[in-house]
Amino acid sequence: MIPASFDYVAPKTLPEAVAELVKHGDEAKVLAGGHSLIPLMKLRLSTPSFIVDIGRIKDLNYIREADGHIAFGALTTHHDIEFSDLVKRRLPVLSSAASQIGDPQVRNRGTIGGAAAHADPFGDFPACLLALDAEFKVVGPRGERTIAAKDFFVETFTNALEPQEVLREIRVPSPPEGSAGTYLKFSRRSQDWAIVAVAAQVTVKGHAVERVAIGLTGMGSRPLRGSAVEQALRGKPAHAEEIRAAADRAADGSDPPQDLNASPEYRRHLATVLTRRALEQVTGHH
Amino acid sequence: MSVRIGIRGGIGESVRRVDGEPKVKGDFEYASDLSREGMLWGATLRSPHPHARIRSIDIQAAVSSPGVLAVLLAGDVPGKKTHGLDEADQPVLAWDVVRYAGEPVALVAAEDLELAREALKKIVVDYEVLPAVTDMEAALSPDAPRLHGKANNIIRSLRILHGNPDAKADVWVEGIYETGMQDQAPLGPEAGLAVPAADGGVDLYVATQWLHVDQDQIAPCLDLPREKVRLHLGGVGGAFGAREDLSMHIHACLLALRTKRPVKIVYGRQESFYGHVHRHPMRIWMRHGANRDGKLVNVQAYLLSDGGAYTSTSGPVIGNATSFAAGPYEVPNARLEGTAVFTNNLPCGAMRGFGAVQATFAYEAQMDELARALEMDPLELRSRNALHTGTVMPTGQLVSGAAPVRELIDRVAVLPVPPDEPAPDRDPMLLPGGAGHVGHGESLKRGIGFAVGYKNIGYSEGFDDSSQAWVRLSRDRDGPLARVKTAAVDVGQGLDTIVTQIVRTELGVERVALEQPDTRIGSAGSSSASRQTMMTGGAVQLACRAVREELDRQGGLERLNRPIEASRTYHHRVTGKLDENGQGDPHVTFAFAAARAVVEVDTELGLVRVVQLAVAQDVGRALNPQSVYGQIEGGSAQGLGLALMEEIELTDGKVRNASFTDYLIPTILDMPPVVSELIEEPEPGVPFGAKGVGEFSTVVVPAAVAAALRQATGRAIHRIPVKPDDLAGLRPALAYRKPPGS
Repeated sequence: MIPASFDYVAPKTLPEAVAELVKHGDEAKVLAGGHSLIPLMKLRLSTPSFIVDIGRIKDLNYIREADGHIAFGALTTHHDIEFSDLVKRRLPVLSSAASQIGDPQVRNRGTIGGAAAHADPFGDFPACLLALDAEFKVVGPRGERTIAAKDFFVETFTNALEPQEVLREIRVPSPPEGSAGTYLKFSRRSQDWAIVAVAAQVTVKGHAVERVAIGLTGMGSRPLRGSAVEQALRGKPAHAEEIRAAADRAADGSDPPQDLNASPEYRRHLATVLTRRALEQVTGHH
Repeated sequence: MSVRIGIRGGIGESVRRVDGEPKVKGDFEYASDLSREGMLWGATLRSPHPHARIRSIDIQAAVSSPGVLAVLLAGDVPGKKTHGLDEADQPVLAWDVVRYAGEPVALVAAEDLELAREALKKIVVDYEVLPAVTDMEAALSPDAPRLHGKANNIIRSLRILHGNPDAKADVWVEGIYETGMQDQAPLGPEAGLAVPAADGGVDLYVATQWLHVDQDQIAPCLDLPREKVRLHLGGVGGAFGAREDLSMHIHACLLALRTKRPVKIVYGRQESFYGHVHRHPMRIWMRHGANRDGKLVNVQAYLLSDGGAYTSTSGPVIGNATSFAAGPYEVPNARLEGTAVFTNNLPCGAMRGFGAVQATFAYEAQMDELARALEMDPLELRSRNALHTGTVMPTGQLVSGAAPVRELIDRVAVLPVPPDEPAPDRDPMLLPGGAGHVGHGESLKRGIGFAVGYKNIGYSEGFDDSSQAWVRLSRDRDGPLARVKTAAVDVGQGLDTIVTQIVRTELGVERVALEQPDTRIGSAGSSSASRQTMMTGGAVQLACRAVREELDRQGGLERLNRPIEASRTYHHRVTGKLDENGQGDPHVTFAFAAARAVVEVDTELGLVRVVQLAVAQDVGRALNPQSVYGQIEGGSAQGLGLALMEEIELTDGKVRNASFTDYLIPTILDMPPVVSELIEEPEPGVPFGAKGVGEFSTVVVPAAVAAALRQATGRAIHRIPVKPDDLAGLRPALAYRKPPGS
């Protein structure tokens, strides 16, 4: 289908983008890579009358490590994240997730900022960013502010940005050396949305799990932290029995949706198995 | 048979598709690309309810909506109010009752599509919602709402009694099987352009499978003589049965005649799900009895199919499914019963495999069960019972043509199986989950499954089928040129290429030009039932031979100076209807296929990777081997889709997944390599001995995939598409119970 008609502007700077948003208020939508917004517009699920295309703004595509964090410009593409040596080395959970988003065409166009701001509970980056305790730097008419990941993802397709704000950067605290991560994703068909997926980032010191972070995709109306798993495993030996016992709690406190793809029971099953496998993989137990 | 030696691009060669290059380059004009000066756009208002009475329709606001030139209701249909392939029971526009969610109720023509859609929103229909029946067994109940005011909701019931249907056997197995509603999902949605003509008639350019049967249905509804309703083929982007029934045809004509301007209607993907018929969901009860030595003694089957709201081709589909229910086996005794019912679901009709797909899934599951009960190799059991030339089928029909069933089984069984590499060493793309990683191959189990099946070629049960072709041979600057005209539709299967090859071989002329099909020539019948190579290929061959005779009289190609033309019509042999015990000579001929599926299942998650599909097919003679392989591969993909993911999900008659986001079609990454073997045993009495090839891999692949999944998981798979939670063992299997009415 073809989107409803809309007006379009492509500002060259962030302040100009914010000014456009101020001018057009609720009627406006920010377009980055277009791989979340355009499909919604084609299905007429979203019918903004004004599009602010931030894709022409320079210097929003970068990945760099400084001051104890790794920063991603909002327009950094999935492809750039997938193939970044820095990300592979420091945040393998993100390179793993990036490699599983859509197909190569999508990964060449789609951006981490757009995917995060879209706040799709079945999207791949939100659960990762939640698990990694990311911070979101957003710019608005009153300047810049920082939103924590746990506050950023509010509801299905709803983030914590004000209508006049634009996401500028996503920062992830640098994990300790030796930290490992992965993203396991279940879908019935190749190159599809996740039915359930699990992001895991773990640091093992000696034989004990020093840090563990679990993010869950597709288990609610927003990405969830596998807090029960984290609590159960933190400080414990990174052994198969401990991992299994912790992973069994992956669905604790979640209220997974019933849809055409899966029942809530099956989603709980998937979350449990994928969490166990992810933990085994990153602790070398596979 | 006279085959001219030395001509390039004749039959038997893997000639490149004549439409291949324009399609790849984007130059091919599909029906959705049609355009005319001053053209309007039509749009359709559809019922949101599966069953409701229309109390009133208010169109005032729509009529005065910007850019609107016409708003039409059932009262504006000048002629007959209904149409249909077998039974004219489907309203052009509903007037008193809607019988499925998605049924057309009103039409708008406007200056552009946006304005037409805006106007649709302003039409106010007051519905009184009626109780709906959306389950095929419930439709049989005496208390069920009756969709068409008849004594019951039965579209067709038939019974085939063979030998002694009460014959006793040493070993019995029984099961219930279900298949889901599959969408043909052609990439080109329904599209056409109606142009009003000076004579008061209309020219309709449309993507269809059969121009003449469309014309037959359209003209009476427009209250026009047939000759004033001229159909022209628009470029077809796939069909698979979805274009056998009318969709936007009459609607565009009505709007064009009313506004006196060309009107185009193109469905979007969502509307396409409502705008055509689908593969019948079936519920099938089977009991198979055999002797200890593994000879089939008795097959009992009851097949119930959900025809949806209107008749369409539900009759022949259940006829096919029931007559094939014992499989490609010699069965001395059988009782095969089939019933198709109306429900308030989407209407169902033709789709690749036409009843054979559902039956094959059931009887091949039974054959594996029987092999297990007999502690016999499943292939040995099949070979031991394989049907062959000279077998009398349960309908009493003698198999007179080629029937290399045993050879198909033997050939597919020896095709190499891909090596089973240890999971941890593999590229994750070669594990279940593929592009989405679910681990390192934990709980991975491999399974191999086989299926054998068959289907009729051409129309059955006494249908008088024919195709006409016109051939003109002339000479121009560049030498001899053959022009060919038929009304036959290349829906993407490659017919135009085959026709070109036949002409080259028959006339010894390399240059062949095909004219665009329309209704100015006689009917070619439908591009369905794997019949066009036989029917239109046969007509072209006959016309070529008539031209050739005259050419020879004139002294051959070198002496060709004035054009020679001939028109001929091909008929296949006469078939007969079934009597009240299902006895007769219903089918022209058959083609057979055997498939082997190699699957790997992540048994903990219930996730599948199909590693390889192997298909051996009885093709008679491959007129274009590459095209045959292409048909086998495409048919296999559609079969894999039905086995694993393709299903229209309905809740209370409403479609929940009318998009390609939610209706899952296998991607290239879900499709394994297909290894094909062609068995060429020419079919007597058929042009070039060539059998149709389009449907047979679709008939056998779903059953083979299901068999492989059973072997890998040890679970009973009674329903396709198989869902991951079925494979993970999180849902109970269907338990056997008695069929309704027994």
